[in-house]
Amino acid sequence: MTTLHVIAHSPFGDQRLASCLRLLGADDGLLLCGDATYALKAGSEPLQMLQAANLGPRLFALAEDLQARALDGTQVIAVDYPAFVELSLHYDKVNSWL
Amino acid sequence: MKFAIAVFSPAHAPSSRRALRFAEAVLASGHDIARLFFYQDGVHSASANIVAPQDELDVAAQWRTFITEHSLDAVVCIAAALRRGVLDDTEANRYQRPAVNLPAPWELSGLGQLHEAAQLADRLVCFGGD
Amino acid sequence: MAKSLLIISRQAPWSGPCAREALDVALAGGAFDLPLGMLFLDDGVFQLAAAQQPDALQQKNLAANLQALPMFGVEELFACAHSLARRGLADEALNLPVQVLDDAALKALIARFDQVVTL
Repeated sequence: MTTLHVIAHSPFGDQRLASCLRLLGADDGLLLCGDATYALKAGSEPLQMLQAANLGPRLFALAEDLQARALDGTQVIAVDYPAFVELSLHYDKVNSWL
Repeated sequence: MKFAIAVFSPAHAPSSRRALRFAEAVLASGHDIARLFFYQDGVHSASANIVAPQDELDVAAQWRTFITEHSLDAVVCIAAALRRGVLDDTEANRYQRPAVNLPAPWELSGLGQLHEAAQLADRLVCFGGD
Repeated sequence: MAKSLLIISRQAPWSGPCAREALDVALAGGAFDLPLGMLFLDDGVFQLAAAQQPDALQQKNLAANLQALPMFGVEELFACAHSLARRGLADEALNLPVQVLDDAALKALIARFDQVVTL
């Protein structure tokens, strides 16, 4: 069964993103919300980790969080809340890293 | 489809608002919410004693309105709530505390309600963090 | 058939109520005979260290509650090998009979359960 992993903590000084990428299955997705979207900051270490993971169409970010933080969303699929709901149904389950 | 939504952060955390917007989108998309469950610091999202500054979003009030308008089942974990001083009338009386901050539409109950909701729902979606 | 739930506990034991409250979710589900698993990940593996004395912090010992898991029917207990190794716990005796899994086995574990929550 596939999993949509959801992270909402900053990747700086926190293990969630690193642990999640280690445990991410080949068909799993990753949705970045809130301060987790700082992982997409150009030139940052977490962005390098994400690029190395090569998630392609399985990497998502909440559009409002990108916009609020002036982050570049071209490397991810930006989603609004209706799309978040659809994503949660597209995957078999949702694992939030609280 | 049926959703169980669990909230783990207080009203002032971005993830409480995120959970609320997600819950609104669930209903707007024609899906159902089996239950909302508030656990850990999420019990503060149910507090009626929050006074938001006038020019700031009052997420606790928006939760209350959302739950009332849609007649949703909104359960606050009793053990987590007692530990954090979120009390309804019965518990405030039982423990002789001076303030009640959990009126209707919220209901205090146990963790079994979280498991029951997860069993009833097609998806369990939890919200916490920043 | 009841849906299975994997609870991933990744908080250290004495830093607040989080670890205890994650365990409470497992114990409550076990009381309802639900098919549950519990995985200790990241700092959560510190819950498994032997001979801890939280009474020095005037805290209740989590170990007794952890050891109640099998009695509550929660017998699928796992720990992340990578998390244990990073924290110097790989070769130590743990206070709970957990299966230590590598990353590939953890991926398969998460895939196997109907629902997962990481506390």
